[in-house]
Amino acid sequence: MAPSLLHPPSQLSPGDALQLSQQAPSVLQNSASTTSSSPFNALLSNPETADQWVQHENLLLSCLRTGDEVAANRCLEKLLARFSEDNERVMALRGLVKEAEAQNNGELEKVLHEYDQILSNNNTNIPITKRRIALLRSMGRLSDAVSSLVQLLDFLPTDAEAWSELADLYLLQGMYQQAIYATEEVLVLAPNAWNVHARLGEILYMAATAPGAAGGSYQKYMTEAVKRFSRSIELCDDYLRGYYGLKLVTNKLLKNTGKASGKSDEGEFTLPDTKTTERLNQLATSKLSEIIRRSTARETGWRGYDELEVEAARKLLSEEASAASGIER
Amino acid sequence: MAQVPVQTIHRDPQLFYWILFPITLVMILTGVLRHYATVLMATAPKKLDQKTIREQRSLLHGIGVRSNAHVLSTSSFNARRDALTTAYESGAYLKDPERRGQAPPNPMSDPSSMDGMMGMMKNQMAMIIPNTLIMSWINAFFSGYVIMKLPFPLTIKFKSMLQAGVATKDMDPRWMSSISWYFLCFFGLQSVFNFLLGNDNAASQMAQQMNQMGPQQAQMFGPGVDPDKQFLGEAENLAVLEHYSVLDNVEERLLSNAKL
Repeated sequence: MAPSLLHPPSQLSPGDALQLSQQAPSVLQNSASTTSSSPFNALLSNPETADQWVQHENLLLSCLRTGDEVAANRCLEKLLARFSEDNERVMALRGLVKEAEAQNNGELEKVLHEYDQILSNNNTNIPITKRRIALLRSMGRLSDAVSSLVQLLDFLPTDAEAWSELADLYLLQGMYQQAIYATEEVLVLAPNAWNVHARLGEILYMAATAPGAAGGSYQKYMTEAVKRFSRSIELCDDYLRGYYGLKLVTNKLLKNTGKASGKSDEGEFTLPDTKTTERLNQLATSKLSEIIRRSTARETGWRGYDELEVEAARKLLSEEASAASGIER
Repeated sequence: MAQVPVQTIHRDPQLFYWILFPITLVMILTGVLRHYATVLMATAPKKLDQKTIREQRSLLHGIGVRSNAHVLSTSSFNARRDALTTAYESGAYLKDPERRGQAPPNPMSDPSSMDGMMGMMKNQMAMIIPNTLIMSWINAFFSGYVIMKLPFPLTIKFKSMLQAGVATKDMDPRWMSSISWYFLCFFGLQSVFNFLLGNDNAASQMAQQMNQMGPQQAQMFGPGVDPDKQFLGEAENLAVLEHYSVLDNVEERLLSNAKL
């Protein structure tokens, strides 16, 4: 899929980002005349399109990613001219550019100080609050970032982006319970997001296999992980990540069937019996191999898979195949 | 029985150029002008402070948990339910905890809701004034004669409104003066405005709103709503919710669907 300037560039590979940032001169030139306020120029130049400023924002992000600071600054100037500098979103982008250009920690501290000043004037400036938290995280001050984020979520509990960032921060510190709670909050806000179900399944699997996990919680986490991955597949039946996770979890369950004993509490999920687990494993394996086969053959309708993900799936299947053949010998 | 004689009146063919066309043009132009005037006069949405945002969003969060509770496992849901119910009942999210028992502020006297009402009044004014001016202009310049004949019959009562300048006893009510053309245009130019100004324009919305003056729904966070009662109501809703999880039996569902 060719990268486009209409989508935010956070998911792009480095090659795609470079390609986008090289479009900078043409995009900037096209919109050169719209910032003039004389009516004569306004009549002659192209009228604003709906996507134009979204493209500018994404171009700015791509340019920063590839290090093209000159073009990024020019994008920023255009945005400032069109939307005044009191606009919260533009303020956040400006801060982002300053952070990217900062050479050392002292300059980053200065930017942080500026954010604090802006927030003391107006503490409902959400983009700046989020920018500040991101800066704290990139400076390595994770506990400060977490506490600021918790404060933000106290008065804005319906922001799914903030909850997922919190889950990520907790995961970085190994606090699995809290990460699970935060990801569940994301799910409450977006109940049909299959990628979030898969993410929660992954976190549960990590929590179950973490060293030091107690015996009872292992079973609880693994059970719920199976269910989360199944739900994500139910919502999107071509989801590679869901099948991958399901295969990992069912492999582990089948290997350790001895541990899956003991009653579960009232109202908790029960571990599926061995037969169901085996069938799930088979389903995952067959679907994964189908995805690998068809996506490498580049059949129509199967080309959307990310190369790295398909590669990882292939490795998983081949490891299992070699392990099985090793046992048979 | 004698046939009622069909009344024919010979009309000047230049009527079209001198009357219908100017009135239509003036109405379209004032509609466009009204649209741009409304856009320019529109006030920015009110900035809320942190406490107000907190109050509103916490309620939305509770509603979200209730509607999407099926995503959670029973234990997670119970934990959240207990936390939220305790917070709601103790008024932890209220903006003004001291005013708990009192009635909500009267929308007339509450300064925070004034801005919203002023905005509505301004829109009404922008609607009323041009229409009044056009009507008086038409009555001044285009009265005293009839210009068109409707293809369907009407009752006599319409004569007083639509044949305003021509006081005759026997003339068929189907004959209309220019003021009636004004009324026809008023209701009929909506599609022209949609074409010229896009769907969401202020010129046609007024007429739509006038048609839709049905029962007005109570707003969730508008003036005159008591947040404490909302919180308590939400706490009760959460308490009576029977929880089921979408994750129960998800494996069987998945396996049976996959076979198909």
